Amino acid sequence: MADHSESGIGDLRLTRRSFIKGCTMAAAALGLSESMIPRLVSAATSPQRPPVVWLHFQECTGCTESLLRASHPDIGRLILDLISLDYHETVMAAAGYQAEENLHNTIEKYDGKFLCVVEGAIPTKDGGVYCKIGGRTAMDILADVAPRSAAVIAIGTCASFGGIQAAAPNPTGAVGVQDLVQGKPIINIPGCPPNPISFLGTVLYYLSWKKLPVTDNLGRPLFAYGRKIHDHCERRAHFDEGRFVERFGDEGHRQGYCLYKMGCKGPATFSNCPAVRFNDVDQWPVSAGHGCCGCTEPSFWDSMTPFEERLPEVKIPLGQGTVSSAESVGKTVAAVTAGAIGVHAAAGVVRRLAKGTAKKDEIRKE
Amino acid sequence: MRYEFEKYRAFGQLYRITHWIFAGSCVVLIFTGFYIYEPWFTTMLEIGYDDFTVANMRFLHFAAAYLFMGAVTARFYLWFFGNKQERITDALPVTKRNIKNFWGAILNYLYIKFHVPRLGHNALAGTTYLITFLLSMVMIFSGFYLLYPGSVQLQAWGGSIFGSQQNARFLHFILMFYFIFFAMVHIYIAVWNDVMFGEGLVSAIISGSKFLHIKRPKID
Repeated sequence: MADHSESGIGDLRLTRRSFIKGCTMAAAALGLSESMIPRLVSAATSPQRPPVVWLHFQECTGCTESLLRASHPDIGRLILDLISLDYHETVMAAAGYQAEENLHNTIEKYDGKFLCVVEGAIPTKDGGVYCKIGGRTAMDILADVAPRSAAVIAIGTCASFGGIQAAAPNPTGAVGVQDLVQGKPIINIPGCPPNPISFLGTVLYYLSWKKLPVTDNLGRPLFAYGRKIHDHCERRAHFDEGRFVERFGDEGHRQGYCLYKMGCKGPATFSNCPAVRFNDVDQWPVSAGHGCCGCTEPSFWDSMTPFEERLPEVKIPLGQGTVSSAESVGKTVAAVTAGAIGVHAAAGVVRRLAKGTAKKDEIRKE
Repeated sequence: MRYEFEKYRAFGQLYRITHWIFAGSCVVLIFTGFYIYEPWFTTMLEIGYDDFTVANMRFLHFAAAYLFMGAVTARFYLWFFGNKQERITDALPVTKRNIKNFWGAILNYLYIKFHVPRLGHNALAGTTYLITFLLSMVMIFSGFYLLYPGSVQLQAWGGSIFGSQQNARFLHFILMFYFIFFAMVHIYIAVWNDVMFGEGLVSAIISGSKFLHIKRPKID
């Protein structure tokens, strides 16, 4: 599908052929039949389609980057062409006062109609001073823009759940959009980065049906986050048959065995990665030989680390906080219990020896 | 000094059956649970032929879990409709008699002052069984949440109670050590009571009968 030969490198126009292909991929991700593709296409080309304001807060711009720098550029182009992007700090031409004016004009002109996409977490501690754009805090900008939008799409784990900024001890009090915005439909597209297809599918669904797709309890669209990675993994057969990678680079690793023992979080993570994959080259972390990091789940920096261990480390509240693995805590509990039983039994024996009270003359009556 | 025993019926059949289902299923659950946590022997290295090792271990785990749940349900029923010794009110420190017994049991286990063994459980044991029951419920619900991750209904309440799948997995694993701890202490205490008071506590969970002292023994 890479149409470099047709369009030429550097030519950023989207060909009709690539456009239809992009819509078809999104329809496939949404689980729609091919007869629905024309509807997606007409919605995506409708002149009445809502403009988009794309806000960047505490983030690395990785979500935008993964979208723009896909090895196959059509999806990125499709998204940028398809949505009328009035404000996007990474790709807009305007700067300074002109950029702020664009934002202001869009939310005035399309009050209640535009789509608000948020990338990055919002710091709330100390009045939100840890993230400021144009002299305003992220909290102020979100409180200004989000309530006037038609719907909010939180792209990436940071905007959805706080991401790495919200990892313990969360020094800036970072939270996701859903913790601050009430009364507006919010959809979360988590991932670090999320798959552009999941984002595109959500936007196309919204444009076609004027509502957001069905979500799970965390606000993630079920078409992309309804299934567990482990249950659709290409290495699943190796798991069931007990063939595991024991060390990175060992024979099992070369044979493509299951990465469960290398701390793969596929059994605890919901995403369409094994089916949709990334960058049109059939790649995702597990196919590249590393376990899933669980990046689409809330607080994955706390609950999924260390990434090469099965379970998170346990912080024992002693002084500075000793970090230990769950297994060693369990072993300690068992050892202390055995020790306590031994001491208790020994105390009884010592006591009997000291008092010399052996039971001698019991009579048992049945 | 001489003292005599009299044989009494303590626990009914269903009570004893549930006890041994608990014992057996917990052994299977802990063994297979550890295996699922870290599959330490694997098809290629130790078994030497292709077999659905992990799938079979998971099957055993789930089958044992259903047995365990059945026994928990039966035990819950007996707490309200069982015989006197089996009822939860007989062993919880909610009555004056049991509050006294609760502290008596602690002094007893500390070798400070021995108390008269009674036909049912002492109040300390009853309290521990209640805690174990509640933790069993946590294990059952977190287990279902892990078993059916795709269920939207389970996600809704499971997610609000346990958080993500990984959090539930962590809780499920850590709580397992309570059951290991419980089994160790439980077996030790039962044997200890049998040695100290000769009431036949260990065999009571097989035969259903316990031996009570006709007169209080003057051990001290």
